[in-house]
Amino acid sequence: MANHILSIEHVSKSFEGLQVFNDVSFAIAEGELSSIIGPNGAGKTTLFNLITGYHIPDDGKIVFEGRNIAGMQPFDIVRLGMARAFQRTNIFPRMSVLENVLTTVITRQKGNLNFVTPTRNLKSAHDRAYEILEGVGLADMAQRLSGTLAHGNQKRLDIAVALALEPKLLLLDEPTAGMSPEERWQTVELVKQLWERLKITMLFIEHDMDIVFGISQTVRVLCYKTLLAEGTPKEISANQQVIEAYLGEEV
Amino acid sequence: MDSQAVNQSQSGNLNRPGTVAIVVALVLLPFILSQFGRTGEFWIWVTTEMIITGLFAMSLNLILGFGGMVSFGHAAFFGVGAYTVALLMKKAGVPLFLALLAAPVAAAIAAAIIGWFCVRLIGLYFAILTLAFSQLLYMIVFQWYTFTGGDDGIHGIPRPEFLGPTSYYLLCLAIFLVCFMLMRMIVNSSFGLSIRTIRENMERAKFIGINVRRYQWINFIIAGAFAGLAGGLLCELNRFAQTEFLHWSKSAEPILGSLVGGMYSLAGPAVGSAVLIFMKIILQQLHRSMVEMWAIVLGSILLVVVLFAPGGLASLYQKLFRKSDS
Ligand SMILES: Nc1ncnc2c1ncn2[C@@H]1O[C@H](COP(=O)(O)OP(=O)(O)OP(=O)(O)O)[C@@H](O)[C@H]1O
Ligand SMILES: [Mg+2]
Repeated sequence: MANHILSIEHVSKSFEGLQVFNDVSFAIAEGELSSIIGPNGAGKTTLFNLITGYHIPDDGKIVFEGRNIAGMQPFDIVRLGMARAFQRTNIFPRMSVLENVLTTVITRQKGNLNFVTPTRNLKSAHDRAYEILEGVGLADMAQRLSGTLAHGNQKRLDIAVALALEPKLLLLDEPTAGMSPEERWQTVELVKQLWERLKITMLFIEHDMDIVFGISQTVRVLCYKTLLAEGTPKEISANQQVIEAYLGEEV
Repeated sequence: MDSQAVNQSQSGNLNRPGTVAIVVALVLLPFILSQFGRTGEFWIWVTTEMIITGLFAMSLNLILGFGGMVSFGHAAFFGVGAYTVALLMKKAGVPLFLALLAAPVAAAIAAAIIGWFCVRLIGLYFAILTLAFSQLLYMIVFQWYTFTGGDDGIHGIPRPEFLGPTSYYLLCLAIFLVCFMLMRMIVNSSFGLSIRTIRENMERAKFIGINVRRYQWINFIIAGAFAGLAGGLLCELNRFAQTEFLHWSKSAEPILGSLVGGMYSLAGPAVGSAVLIFMKIILQQLHRSMVEMWAIVLGSILLVVVLFAPGGLASLYQKLFRKSDS
């Protein structure tokens, strides 16, 4: 049995009486590329919000590398080595593409309290930022104002910002949302290639079954306030419960 | 908003010969003005006030333009600086230069206490709480007659003999330039970038590991310190401190200056403040009764800025001169 980098233990969450999760438990193996699927409103994004400290679970534990992080602040959890990219693009729109990544690199290096050195003189941070932008194919747009990028490139920048944190666990919330079919597969390739190159644990949310079954080692299905099923793509696509509750409607 | 105007990757570019020319002109100005007798002396006084108010506006703009937080209570720190100078010099006989050092320290302490509460809130709630704290301070100073002189203020603050109008102008200018360089350094540093990052997207800033409140708090303290220095300088210029320095209308001055001058540039707020003071004085000079018109004139200026130049004078300047730069 592999080591678990993250485990969700008996987590429940409600919003003003509306229950989203009821006693959910699962664990993610270190180094795995896995996915979460489920119908709209199933609570996939909420799960990421719970893991990253944006929401606090009503009940249960969230254990990251052996430590219960439930109740910790997002910026503290990030420093433990967890990063996320967002479903709805979430960048710093009136800063250049480079600055988006640079500010993250500086934060990662704990350099925010430098009041003296002009950022343009921070050579190693600049080099690192360019390296990351090259990794996602945005280096030639480094000087553009990020808010003016096309949607697909903004999503890539969102991923680049997350990568700049050098996370051990990377959470991607629908990295292909709103993209053209061609862009989608480019992004999927990027995700796969990043995973192979960086050897980190990745967990992504996705609606497109071809993508999900194409690249995940493990698939988890969220439905009816709970984890309906968990297994290899093969197991999931053959799971009678999943087909009835979720996949059935798509076929 | 004008996307161009907020690209501050290089704030306050000082390599232009224009900057040198401006500084030289500012240094020579009082010597020229002093040729014109009493009128000249009056204008030296006005330009000194412009410099001080400019410093005040730039200090607020660290929070407003760079931090993206609207404070309605910045006068609190201006007032603390002014009263620090007044009390130390008048009641304790402390020399001017020591008092001027104490002013930003006292203001920073006040900002640390007030800011600690305020940065817990965002948007309008933050603005209202800063207003509430500054009004609280105003009331304390107003009521505590035996210590602060209440409504009468503190008059007759001593002026070192060697400091005539011209040399005081030059002192203020020197302090302004040093502060300008310090603020420029701060906004171009990693800290400045972090502050802009928070302004651009506070939620995402948390998810890249920025402790948003802590940096907003530090920024609030820095801004308070510079405001306190400005307050101390104005106190010595007028040779009195009065409750008006803490009044909410005093908090509005740097906001208006920043709007007119452009809050996404470093020098914009100082220029905007100077322009506003200049127009107000001109109005006064035309006819005493014209002062009544000030509200209308100010309103019109703001209307024009908001409608036609949302980035303020700074963005107009960029639009006019950007081509020749590149
Ligand atoms: N902050 C909140 N306050 C109240 N309700 C919320 C909040 N966040 C999420 N919800 C509710 O929780 C449920 C799950 O939402 P969530 O965004 O997690 O779904 P999702 O699985 O990500 O859906 P989608 O596929 O559309 O992205 C929804 O009913 C949503 O309205
Ligand atoms: Mg979602």
